[in-house]
Amino acid sequence: MGDIRETMRLAIVEKIPDGQILVDNGSGGGHFTIQVVSPVFAGKSLLESQRLVLGAIAHLMKGDGAPVHAIDKLTTKTP
Amino acid sequence: MLSDTVKTQLEDLIKKNKVLLFMKGNKHFPQCGFSAQVIGILKETGTKFETVNVLQDPAVRDGIKELSSWPTIPQLYVDGEFIGGCDIVKEMYASGDLQKKLGVEVKAVVPPTISLDEGAVKAIKDADDGSGDVLRLTIGSNWQYDLSFDAKKPDDVVVVANGVSVCFDKESAKKSEGLKISWVETPDGGAFRIENPNEPARVKSTTAAEVKKWLDDGKKFSFFDVRTEEELATAKVAQATHFDGEKSLAGIDKDQTVVFMCHHGMRSRTAADRILKDGYKNVFNLEGGIDSWSKTVDSKVPTY
Repeated sequence: MGDIRETMRLAIVEKIPDGQILVDNGSGGGHFTIQVVSPVFAGKSLLESQRLVLGAIAHLMKGDGAPVHAIDKLTTKTP
Repeated sequence: MLSDTVKTQLEDLIKKNKVLLFMKGNKHFPQCGFSAQVIGILKETGTKFETVNVLQDPAVRDGIKELSSWPTIPQLYVDGEFIGGCDIVKEMYASGDLQKKLGVEVKAVVPPTISLDEGAVKAIKDADDGSGDVLRLTIGSNWQYDLSFDAKKPDDVVVVANGVSVCFDKESAKKSEGLKISWVETPDGGAFRIENPNEPARVKSTTAAEVKKWLDDGKKFSFFDVRTEEELATAKVAQATHFDGEKSLAGIDKDQTVVFMCHHGMRSRTAADRILKDGYKNVFNLEGGIDSWSKTVDSKVPTY
């Protein structure tokens, strides 16, 4: 599970280079929680902020055998 | 890739339905917790809405993710606009923005009336570290209770009962009218007991010590032992009656407290679950069974 968390983190870093990113295990297999703190969210709505993060990992959530099944909790904050 | 046919099909659906939820399962049987939460909120607003079960068609499931640039299900659309997933819907509901979008009134949450017994008040006051955090009671979707201290939030519903302030989020507040919090002594100190009349009937847990106290206090209840005759011959609690199915229940009022005991608490739970289906409302399982009775109440009862 450690690997996929790191893969997720790197995918998010690629989109949000100045973000402090925390990826944790969620409630079960393939469930995760993500916290991202970055100035990039300033002035953005919750939808836009979440879309930015989810967009970065969308490829990991696609199809039936996807390594990332669900995000239990996604927090986006500005520093 | 999103084919033109699927794209047109999805756009058509979104255009034709004012409020449309792409979800797993349907309104009546949501097949994922996140979808179920959004359904719960939409029903609560009283708005009319349609759903699309993405599990029925992989092309729709992948298509909608691409169309919305959103990798998860559920997805809510209102008036052709993508609103978001579960988190966003929850947040917008709490702030009232969702109701505004849907054109429905924000239902005010009536603060529930709750009560606390002396023991609970004392335990809460002892636990308060004076940091200014509030006592929060959260009720999960399966009636799991969580009592904790944390920061007050703007949308909280605050209730003062017996001199103690208790905070609820809106959803929990709606499920709490008439709720009672009491303190029960247990072998390892004590614990909160929450009795909530809004909860559908389920088997409650009790301990050997508590049942002993009920007996000593002369509380009216039925006390059944579901073990076999052979086991009863080995060890028994004098006040417990051998349970003989329906015959034993004859004449027992559905509101009366019924306690089940066995060796370790497994068979008794099965029996307790069964009579719940017959409409009994106050059914308890003696956790740990007669084994625990012997260890905590009366060591003269043999263990085996």
